[in-house]
Amino acid sequence: MAEQEEWTGTIGRVLLGATRGDGGTRSVQYCIGGSRDLPFLPGEAPCGKRPLIALEICDDPVLWPPVVREQVGDLAGDTAAWAREAEKTYGADLVRLHLTSTHRRQTPDPDGMKKTVESVLAATTLPLIIEGSSDPALDSEVFQRCGEAGAGERLLLGTAEADRYRSIAAAALAYGHAVIAQSPIDINLAKQLNILLREIGVPVDRIVIDPYTGALGYGFEYSYSVMERIRYAALKGDTDLAMPVISAAPDSLTVREVRDAAPADRQERALSWEFHAAFPAAVAGADIVCVRHPLSVKRLRDACSALAARQKGTPAQGGG
Amino acid sequence: MALKALDIYKLLPKKNCKECGFPTCLTFAMKLASGKADAETCPYLDEATKQLLKGATRPPILRVKIGVGERSFAVGEEIVLFRHDKSFVHPPGILFLVSDRQTTDEIRRVATRVKDEVFPRVGELLRVNGIAIRNDSGSPEAFGKAVRVVEETAEFPEMLIAGSPASMEAALAECGNYRPLIHAATAENHGAMCSLAKRYGAPLAVRARGADALRNLAGTCAAAGVQDLVLDPFPETLGEFLITSTLIRRLALARSAPELGYPVYLDATAPGLEEAALSLGILKYAAVMVTTPRNPASLLPSLTLRQNIYTDPQKPIQMTPGIYRVGNPTRGDPLLLTVNFSLTYFTLLGYLESSRISCFLLLVDTEGFSVLTAVASGKLNENMIRDSLQRFGVEAETGHRTLVLPGYAAPLSGRVEEATGWKVLVGPRDAAEVPEFLEQSWKKAPGG
Ligand code: B12
Ligand code: SF4
Repeated sequence: MAEQEEWTGTIGRVLLGATRGDGGTRSVQYCIGGSRDLPFLPGEAPCGKRPLIALEICDDPVLWPPVVREQVGDLAGDTAAWAREAEKTYGADLVRLHLTSTHRRQTPDPDGMKKTVESVLAATTLPLIIEGSSDPALDSEVFQRCGEAGAGERLLLGTAEADRYRSIAAAALAYGHAVIAQSPIDINLAKQLNILLREIGVPVDRIVIDPYTGALGYGFEYSYSVMERIRYAALKGDTDLAMPVISAAPDSLTVREVRDAAPADRQERALSWEFHAAFPAAVAGADIVCVRHPLSVKRLRDACSALAARQKGTPAQGGG
Repeated sequence: MALKALDIYKLLPKKNCKECGFPTCLTFAMKLASGKADAETCPYLDEATKQLLKGATRPPILRVKIGVGERSFAVGEEIVLFRHDKSFVHPPGILFLVSDRQTTDEIRRVATRVKDEVFPRVGELLRVNGIAIRNDSGSPEAFGKAVRVVEETAEFPEMLIAGSPASMEAALAECGNYRPLIHAATAENHGAMCSLAKRYGAPLAVRARGADALRNLAGTCAAAGVQDLVLDPFPETLGEFLITSTLIRRLALARSAPELGYPVYLDATAPGLEEAALSLGILKYAAVMVTTPRNPASLLPSLTLRQNIYTDPQKPIQMTPGIYRVGNPTRGDPLLLTVNFSLTYFTLLGYLESSRISCFLLLVDTEGFSVLTAVASGKLNENMIRDSLQRFGVEAETGHRTLVLPGYAAPLSGRVEEATGWKVLVGPRDAAEVPEFLEQSWKKAPGG
């Protein structure tokens, strides 16, 4: 092993969000990826980039973590207002909207969903991640409507899996969006899915890998290592893995250690539990890290900035 | 540079006298090359060759032990850059910081926490390893006194932080024989600090900013005869720590800089960023870390991350397969099937115990995979369930033939009934709902 590893690969770039000039309405466009070294090492990028932080919100909060509902209060019932606060009050780089209303066994309401996406697009100027249906039977309808609602905005659409990727790919191709490709903590499965997507025409610069992140204490170490392996393989020249990575550990706020914490400690325990999967994911090379507790955004941003800073007093920029 | 077996062989006396305990000089050379023998055991080597061989065959990162007795901990001996390449070996020691400006009561309170606070998690006890005492007052007397307060509370590893050798000496007079970590030898004071470390046989932290400066200073201290060193790269930012500690680990593993082949230290007390610094240290090669006495609400996540990252990726923490009793089960009480992943077992156990249920748990050998993972990969199937029921003599214990399967194993239920001849009840997916399920369904079941 040498002092400096010889890399031959570069992580591909993916553009998220479209500004007026690019035919959208976002205030910023992010360019993620592009790394040429291990995360945060000197060869990585000249400008000291930090990962982007996405705050997750939903359109039906019934199953959403209680600690978040307590924090956001009435916002949970008003998706657009919640999105606005994500940008204005909490300082997220991206908003990730989960259409959790599709979880409930009720007649799907594609028009309602489309309206929700439109209202969120109107409420925030940030680039969006839209997490569509969680029921394969609804996929094609839901992705079609979401894709259409955000046409031209360069959304990041989620989530494609090995046995469910056609509808989402079709929507992404038709309306110019990027897709999240998720596989269960396995570098070979991640690679396979990327190949499948490519074969049906999704260009590599529209794919973001989600290697599946288990909560801290509940499989997180496997996810951490898979993220490290993906980055390593990509830098060693494996182009089927050379896409940016998104990480979310959605169970962080509902694990037993948070549920059982004394009421006075619960918020701090929740924030810290979420932080301890989110920050290590950034260290392992995730380009987008998602959190659900609004107060996690600043905590994570400060930590990632300190990590991206080589010397005191050099602020790190998000993405772009 | 590391020597190959043949290079080593060339340096040996070639008597094949077996006095080293190996049949030939060549075997001895091969053992030396793989770090499994000590050059000392051949009586015919001259001193210079011995030292040469020791340098070339030592572990790339030396082992350093801090403290004595039950709570002492060893660090170093790491062999990889990424945990997936093999495994990380020694979890970093985390020490709570106190200042000699604090009152006796305050210091004692922190020391008591270090002594008593444990967090049981999946069959292991998570805890902070020791205490670091810092000479903020500048006074040797105050420093010595603070150390004495800690000493009176309990035995656990200590670290002494002082720039002045006089202060250090006062503290070592209190605890020097218990292998405290001395922090730190610097460009200014290394002569005096080295002699203190040698006098007490204590490990010594060396502080210099960046890998090059550290390499020089550590080389000087090693040449002065201090064997147990710890490197403090003294970073200004988290990013700088990551860069320097990665470089140190790389150079050490490549054996291209033996002066850097020691465990690394990180002061994680960065204002506002402490949990980030702790996380980063755990992930990226810190072996000893100091933190303020953190609130348990955010300390437990740090300790859990350390447990996760230092678990061998090839071997999840496992339970021995077999029958386990919860409460005082008697014949006729429920029998629950689960896997031998220790997280699964302890999660389930927690809910059963808190609702005071007596039952039998049959832990089958899924090689440490969780229920869902084992089902998805075919490691949990009807044949192994049948074999486990037989192997562990389950029926003789329970006196009935009804088995409760985890909700996630529902797809197997028909096949399990067929293969075993037992009646199967499918339980809930979430362990939290198991007590209520047993209340409602077990009594109605033919076995109950
Ligand atoms: C960490 C992890 C892994 C780790 C293994 C960890 C381990 N020791 O098992 C690794 C990376 C190796 C892995 C591998 C795989 N995994 Co995996 N993995 C996970 C993850 C993130 C967490 C698992 C975990 O630790 N759960 C916690 C324990 C405590 O849960 P549990 O054992 O199920 O116990 C609970 C209940 O079952 C219940 N319970 C337990 N016992 C009993 C008994 C009774 C009687 C009752 C009533 C209840 C009960 O109580 C517990 C607490 O509620 C899950 C996702 C998730 N959130 O579950 C995916 C997941 C289980 N994996 C999945 C898959 C597909 C796989 C692979 C097949 C894919 C692959 N990568 O190749 C492989 C299979 C392994 C192999 N290659 O042979 C899928 C399963 C899909 C499905 N629904 O079938 C999941 C759900 C991820 C996903 N969404 O895609 N995995
Ligand atoms: S003791 Fe020395 S000389 Fe004798 S066999 Fe062993 S290595 Fe060779």
